[in-house]
Amino acid sequence: MEKKMFEILKPGMKIDFTSKMIYTSSISAILVILSLIGIFTSMNYGVDFRGGAEIQTKFKTKVSIDGLRKTMDVAQFKGVSVQTIGEAKDNEFLVKVQADNSNLNEISQKISEALISAYAAQGVEIRKVDIVGPKAGAELRNSGFLAIFWALMAILIYVGIRFDFKYAPGAVIALFHDVVIVLGIFSLTGTEFTLQIVAAVLAIVGYSVNDTVIIYDRIREHEAQYPGLDIKTHINNAASETLSRTIITSGATLLSCLGMYFLGGIAIRDFFFAMSLGIIVGTYSSIYVAAAVTIAFEKFFLGKKKAA
Amino acid sequence: MFLIFLTAISIMAIIPTLFKFDEDSKFPITSKINMGLDLQGGLYMILGIDFNNVYKDEIKGYLRKAEYELSEQKIESKLGELDVRIPTDPQYTLIISDPKKVEEAKAKIREYFANVIRMTDESGATLKFGLQDSWKDYIESQSVSKSIEVVRNRIDEFGVTEPEIISQGKDRIIVQLPGVKDIERAKELIGKTAKLEFKIVNDEISAETLAGWIKRTEEAGIVYKKGERFSDYMSKVNEFLKADLPKDYEIAFQKTVSKITNEIEAKVPFLVDVAPRITGDDLADASVQIDQQKNEPYVSMNFKSSGAKLFEKVTGENVGKRMAVILDGNVYTAPNIIAKIGGGRAQITLGTGNYNALLQQAKDIALVLRAGALPVQLDFLEQRIVGPSLGQDSISRASWASIISCVLVFIFAIIYYRLSGAIAVITLVLNVLFVLACLVGMGATLTLPGIAGIALTVGMAVDGNIIIYERIREEVRKKVSFYKSVEAGFDNAFWTILDANITTALAGLCLLNFGTGPVRGFAVTLLIGLAATVYTSYFVSKIFFEFYMTKVEGQDLSI
Repeated sequence: MEKKMFEILKPGMKIDFTSKMIYTSSISAILVILSLIGIFTSMNYGVDFRGGAEIQTKFKTKVSIDGLRKTMDVAQFKGVSVQTIGEAKDNEFLVKVQADNSNLNEISQKISEALISAYAAQGVEIRKVDIVGPKAGAELRNSGFLAIFWALMAILIYVGIRFDFKYAPGAVIALFHDVVIVLGIFSLTGTEFTLQIVAAVLAIVGYSVNDTVIIYDRIREHEAQYPGLDIKTHINNAASETLSRTIITSGATLLSCLGMYFLGGIAIRDFFFAMSLGIIVGTYSSIYVAAAVTIAFEKFFLGKKKAA
Repeated sequence: MFLIFLTAISIMAIIPTLFKFDEDSKFPITSKINMGLDLQGGLYMILGIDFNNVYKDEIKGYLRKAEYELSEQKIESKLGELDVRIPTDPQYTLIISDPKKVEEAKAKIREYFANVIRMTDESGATLKFGLQDSWKDYIESQSVSKSIEVVRNRIDEFGVTEPEIISQGKDRIIVQLPGVKDIERAKELIGKTAKLEFKIVNDEISAETLAGWIKRTEEAGIVYKKGERFSDYMSKVNEFLKADLPKDYEIAFQKTVSKITNEIEAKVPFLVDVAPRITGDDLADASVQIDQQKNEPYVSMNFKSSGAKLFEKVTGENVGKRMAVILDGNVYTAPNIIAKIGGGRAQITLGTGNYNALLQQAKDIALVLRAGALPVQLDFLEQRIVGPSLGQDSISRASWASIISCVLVFIFAIIYYRLSGAIAVITLVLNVLFVLACLVGMGATLTLPGIAGIALTVGMAVDGNIIIYERIREEVRKKVSFYKSVEAGFDNAFWTILDANITTALAGLCLLNFGTGPVRGFAVTLLIGLAATVYTSYFVSKIFFEFYMTKVEGQDLSI
């Protein structure tokens, strides 16, 4: 009996992933290096990590962005930047100013005073104020990176225990690759790196490792079934067999992330920007980075052991 | 059966939230999902304690006590200079007036204060003291909990519902005030440096002279400007009048702040001691009492045993003078000292007048005194304020987007897997239902990233179904019977699903540990979602498949 199934890939299809790995690995390596440069030189840290004040304000009637900037300048705030939120007709703005230890206590009051005295007629409404001291910001930044680091370590150990330690470095290097490239794109596009993005990066770490684990799972199964085949064949077979799952799952998750990205509003847009990037990069890296590292690891490390 | 039971409970749990039931409705479950600050508006703050300042006050306070104890032993001494060359170890000198009594003084101080202060240096009759390390540790351990208590106290006075005040590390306090309307007032109340001092008022200089001095400062351009720190203004005034002020006295103000505009309406100058005679540390408690006979409210103060002696001495020496109660440099009241007060209990009577006004005044003073029993400076490290309208906007936008996102995934699943896809959709809906019910049950807080977490859970949970279905398809392609294929699909997929979810949970746990506020909300929904995913996409799907295959015999399920 032939069952009818909606399939995007032909069953039994074998793709030779490993033959092109020399190119993909080089591209990945270059991207990671460029991203690292971007992260260390031009990362746009948000108020959470840099310290400062961020005010979301909305007006009933039209207010010019220049006027708003001028108002803040006149009120003697430093490092003023103003941007619109949403459409122009919403009259909603995001104002950022510097904050340091000396004015941290009064700054929110000063901001509201400045805005209310200048824009009472325009029906000013202060919708959100975030103030982070420079010290707290630096600490948040450190603990954010630490959280990402510990997540990677935890996964390294888990994959090592559940599978084999020869698989663990591949999984973790793939995750590191994903995290670095996502953050690299953030630095390239100038998108703000905030606490929420740390959350997104950790979600990406958790999500991206799934693909890797599933492919490893298959490799392990095949190794038990057909011992004697080399690792490259196992990888090609496992990746090919799980490819439809990989694509469908990534597609489904990407679909929900894009939905949230376009409709969820400004407050969570960047979060889903990071997620969407992470899903794309993560899907690629499960095959091309994790598997490539596993091959390399087996070749150099275990190969030497055999020779000895 | 278990599934039906669980579903029924979960639906019951989220009904009050969905239909916005009142607290007193007849429905058996009344608790709703806690909305985070970012959704309902409010104030989130992280306050830090500056321990170096605490140490400074502490060492000073103990040397004042030492001064007093020594004078009881007929050894006169005087508190000298502060040395903050090592900021974490501030030290004060104590100068013994009679050089012959230095050894005796040292012995006495060791006897009384050995566990608190240590001598760090001596040159002739000048002894230098710092705090013992063990005492610093004790202060650290006490300060956070004391500050939390004080902050809570003040918030209670302010009347915010469901405030959350927790410690973070050894020098941080996180304050969350959901739904608070008057944010500036709340901040002011919390951030107030509760530094209470009792200083003797110098009434030898007449009020007219004082007013004249203040007028001169104004003529010299020293006026209080809105937005300026009042303490900055005060130090400018004192600096300007340095030549006129009697030695060891300074100007302090009693300022009246308008409740409507928050602006300073009036400020009355007082000439008071530079160094406080008694500090809030000596005070144990203060409360409002009513004199039953006269039907007048008054403030009652209780001093600690060490403070009681000091208070007795100070009042005894200053009968007839006024004693200013100063909180954060602001004079709140300055009652007359009628007699020497022993026994550690004192009253501040307020005279006669409108009963309600007096009661309010008594309450204000008692609050000031109570708050002041803790001389810890709290600095704002982080503040996040969300207006209520933004919260509403966020909820509706994010919920709507989540629903659309879910529907997209649902359509995708049904197109791709047909009837099996429909089963997947049912399991996903149940998944979301369980997550929401768990939030209600655990009293966890739903934040905006939390809503994002739910949307993400759906996107990721479908993975479980996909893993199983792809396995079944593989088996079907091998021409295995459908029943066997399903069995093999579920068997093979179990560990894969578990592994995939555990690794994500590991990242979630790291996030839970790192995050506070909204980000923590994301970690919570993510973790709950992962647990629900393992249950729904594996076990619940299996139930549906088994049900289908036993009831609809001979017919294969489209997959």
